[in-house]
Parts: sequence; structure tokens; C-alpha cells
Amino acid sequence: MTTSARSQETHYGFLTDATLCIGCKACEVACKQWNQLPADSPSEGFHLTGFSFDNTVDLGATTWRHVHFVEQTSNSGVAWLMLSDVCKHCVHAGCLDACPTGAILRTEFGTVVIQDNICNGCGYCVPACPFGVPQLDHADGGSHKCTLCYDRLRGGLAPACATACPTASIRFGPLEELLQSGRERVSTLQEQGVPASLYGDENLGGTGGIRGLGALFVLNAPPECFNLPARPRLPRRNILPAALATVGMAIGLCVAGALTFSADE
Amino acid sequence: MTSIERRESSSAGASSEPVGYYGLPVIHGPHWKWLIICYFFFGGISGTSAVLSAIARLFDHQDGPHIARVATYTSMGALLPCPIFLILDLGRPGRFLNMLRVLRPSSPMSVGSWGLALFGTATSVSALLQVLIDVKARGRTSSVGSLDSAARLFAPVPALLGLLVAGYTGVLLSATAVPIWSKRPWLLGPLFLTSATSSGTAAVAIALSLVERADEPGEVRLSRFESLAVTAESAILVGWVFALGATAEPMLSGRVGAVLRYIVVGAGMAAPQLIAIKSQQSANRRSRLLLTRAASILTLIGGFALRYAVVQAGRDSADDPLATFDMTRC
Repeated sequence: MTTSARSQETHYGFLTDATLCIGCKACEVACKQWNQLPADSPSEGFHLTGFSFDNTVDLGATTWRHVHFVEQTSNSGVAWLMLSDVCKHCVHAGCLDACPTGAILRTEFGTVVIQDNICNGCGYCVPACPFGVPQLDHADGGSHKCTLCYDRLRGGLAPACATACPTASIRFGPLEELLQSGRERVSTLQEQGVPASLYGDENLGGTGGIRGLGALFVLNAPPECFNLPARPRLPRRNILPAALATVGMAIGLCVAGALTFSADE
Repeated sequence: MTSIERRESSSAGASSEPVGYYGLPVIHGPHWKWLIICYFFFGGISGTSAVLSAIARLFDHQDGPHIARVATYTSMGALLPCPIFLILDLGRPGRFLNMLRVLRPSSPMSVGSWGLALFGTATSVSALLQVLIDVKARGRTSSVGSLDSAARLFAPVPALLGLLVAGYTGVLLSATAVPIWSKRPWLLGPLFLTSATSSGTAAVAIALSLVERADEPGEVRLSRFESLAVTAESAILVGWVFALGATAEPMLSGRVGAVLRYIVVGAGMAAPQLIAIKSQQSANRRSRLLLTRAASILTLIGGFALRYAVVQAGRDSADDPLATFDMTRC
């Protein structure tokens, strides 16, 4: 299927399966190579989170795919859980809501992209993301995150990470299809006794106004093991209560002020 | 036994087991530091001074024009550094005009940027009107009646926009994923607005005592309103910290905790109230004036310290994975 044949209505995304990830980091390398991303803060030197192979630590301005290496030590040895994390391309995105310049937009593929030639580095999208994805790059002052390889999609190619993944742990395709196969995969795993769940499925509830994710994850452990919030909330939901309370307070202060200053001495 | 159950049973005894993924932050914190703290402080003063100016002009039939004059100039003066703070804080300062490229109601920063641009225009107009009134009044040849009524008619414009500028910042912080800012949104917004009101009133009171031989009733009214705002501010602050529960921890511990206890609450809220009571008992007019001026300076220091504490606590709160998990479990 070529890009030109893709319907304008179809939303595309990722399905990343933790049970298939072997931690090879081909996705990280392919992403850095295609998007021409530098190594993470080379000045800080080489740093590992645990005892294994996680030297990129977190998603950030120059790391748009990050492979978690969860080491679970027990009496019977060490169990390894691996998952390639990425921008969730939320159906209702906190970063997009927050962006004051219109630099962040929803593309024709349903993905969320920061236009680098418009972003002025205000940094509001950074704390507005419930997943900790966008980050300011101190080298160029702008905010950066995964574009779901917008340029490759326009050219009819799949994203670099999904293309490089040797185990099909990262799949790219229309979101509806991915949702379906994610659900099937989870029920197969559950039949085998694996405590699997589909992260980002709106029907499972608890997406707090985000409604669903453009990057779904098949997890074999609770989301928090991979630093994913169990029930993320859309920050925009706070605007109404905060604004109403502030307006109420403003009216109160004005009335109090008018009474104080009109009082005859 | 699955791997997860094994993990939980093995980690049950060891409380030092890091939360989540090696105890790393779940969300990315804001980069906002001193520039934004200064902006919150000066923007709040500027916005609420415009409100005070309008209230004095429209409702105070004794000292109104005097207080309004000083409040208008205070508002203009406090506004001037604001755009500089904001532009310098950008990662790409040359693109500051992109803030007015779109209007996005879902972004408090977008609404605030437009609000600040309009407020700046309105405040400049109102300062210009005040200059004209002052110049004409000095000449004493012609009546200032028509300019006065123009100023009265225009006063609500900068006042309403000033409320927006002083109030949107708390809403902006609430609309993030930062636990301490987003957990109780209906208290953070009012906290910022009341704090801006107490700071703005204090700034106008100080300016009035410096530039004008103010009439006593005007000073008393300003001081009374300042006390009122500080009382509301402290009540909301206490309510907010209690409502946050364990999430308030970055606000109460370490350096931020010390700043909150001694500077925000001690010097900025309790001391001015005590001084205000003391000054009412004082028979000497000059000592009364000095005491109310000291109270206003302390209120300003407390207002600045509150902005620092809230911004820094937000940065600390964002770095705590447990705080994020606590909010995203229910």
C-alpha cells in the first residue's frame, strides 16, 4: 500500500509488543540515523540506568525511540523485560493543546508533529505531556519529539524504527487494524498465562480525556514498570475548573475592592 | 508464579526498591526558572494595579484620582520588564512574535500572550491619559473634566485585561501534567490571583507613600484592602497545601519548604498583618506611615517568594515518579 492510496480519514500509528522485543535497539539506531539525531548529551559521558544496556535512559530531544531494560531480580535469577518506548501520538494530545504558536499540529496521518521552523522554544509542551515525551534541545532551543517519520510516510515508506525492527515487535499501520491485532495478541498471551494488557486502548478506560493513543503497547507487566502512567490525564481538563475558580475569585476581589474604596470615612 | 508476582514478593521487604523505572521521572519538568518567576511577580503587580486604578477611579469619591494616578503608573512600570523576561526565557527568543501567530483557546499560554499584548496596549493608553491629565492639571488653566471622564470611561478596559494577565498564570500551571500544579486546579488559580492582588496593592501603597503626600483615608483603604487580600491568599495557600496531601511534599521540604515557612508565610503574611494591627493602635501619623510601608514591602517579598516556591516545587514534583503515579492510579 502506498501513501497516496491511503485515505485522508485513516489514522496511522504503532503497535509495540514488549513480549517480542529482544532489546537489540535497532529501532533507536534507525531513528537516530534517519532523523539525523546526535548522541545524547555527549558531554555527560556514557551512562547506564541499570546493569544492562540502557544508555539512552529516557525519551528526549535527541532520543525519539527508547528501549527500556527492566531488570527484575529474584531468588531464581534475573528476569528481563524490554520495551521500545515512543511518542504516543495521542488522539487528544496535551502538547498540541498547550502549544501557543501552532507549531504542533495533527497531520493527515493522524500523527502529532512539531514544526521546527515555527517552534519558538517556549517549553510549555514539555510539562503538558502526560508521558514525558517532548523536550527542549539546548543546542537549538526548540522542542523535539518523534514525528512518526512524517517525511517517510509522505514518501510512501514505513517509519524507520518499524522497518528496522527484526522481530516485528514494532508494527506500523492503520490504527484500527493495530488495535484489532493488539487485542488478539493480548488474548492469546493471556491464554498462555502471560499477564498481558493493551496500553492505550480507549475501551479499557482510564485514558483521562486522551481518548486513545496513536502508539499502542502490548505489555507483559504493569505499565508503571515501564514508567508509563496507568491512567494518564489530559492536562487541558484542568483549564475549566481553574479558570472558573479564578474568575470567581476575581469577581470576589473586585466586589471587595469596590466596597473597601467606596466606604466613607 | 509470574515474573511480576515474583518481583513484588521479592521487593516487598526491600523498601529501597526504586519506583517505576529506576526511579526516573515519568514526565519531563518545565525549564522555567528566575525569568518566569520574575514575570509572574511583575505581571501580577501590573495587572492588579490596573484593577486597583479602575476601582479607585470609579468607586472612591475621596482619594480616588490620587490612588488611580499612582496605580496607573505602577501598572505601567511593572509591565515594562514583563515582555523582556518572557522573550529571554524562550529557547528561540527571535521568534517571540510567533506567540501571536494563532489564538488557541486550549492553551492558557496562547490566551495569556494575547491578553498580555492587549493589556499592554490598554495600559499604555491609560498611562497616556493620566499623563495628559497631569499636564493639564499642572497648567491649571483649563479644566481636566473631559479627560477625567475619558479616563473613567476607559478604566474598565485595562482592569478586565489586567485580571486576565494576573489570573491566567495559575491556570497555565494547572494545565500541565506536573502533579503539584495539576492536582487541585481550583485552588492554584485563585492563589495566584489573590497573591497578585496583595502584591499589586502593596506596590501601589509604596508608590503612593513615595511620590504623593497621600491623604490618610486613601492609605487606610489601601492598607485595609491589602490585609484583605493577604488574608484570602493565606487561607487559599493553607487550603491548597492541605488539599494536595502527600503531593505537597516538594512545597514543604528542603529549601522551598524553608522559603514557604519563613518568607512566604512568616515575613510575607503573618508579619504584615501584625504590623497592620500595630499601626492602627499607633497615635503618631508618621510612625503609622512607616509601619504600613514596612508591611507593604514585606507583602511584596512574600509574593515574590510564593512565586519562587510554587515554580520550584513544580520542578521538584515533576521529577518525582511516585507523585505522578499517585495521581494516575485512580
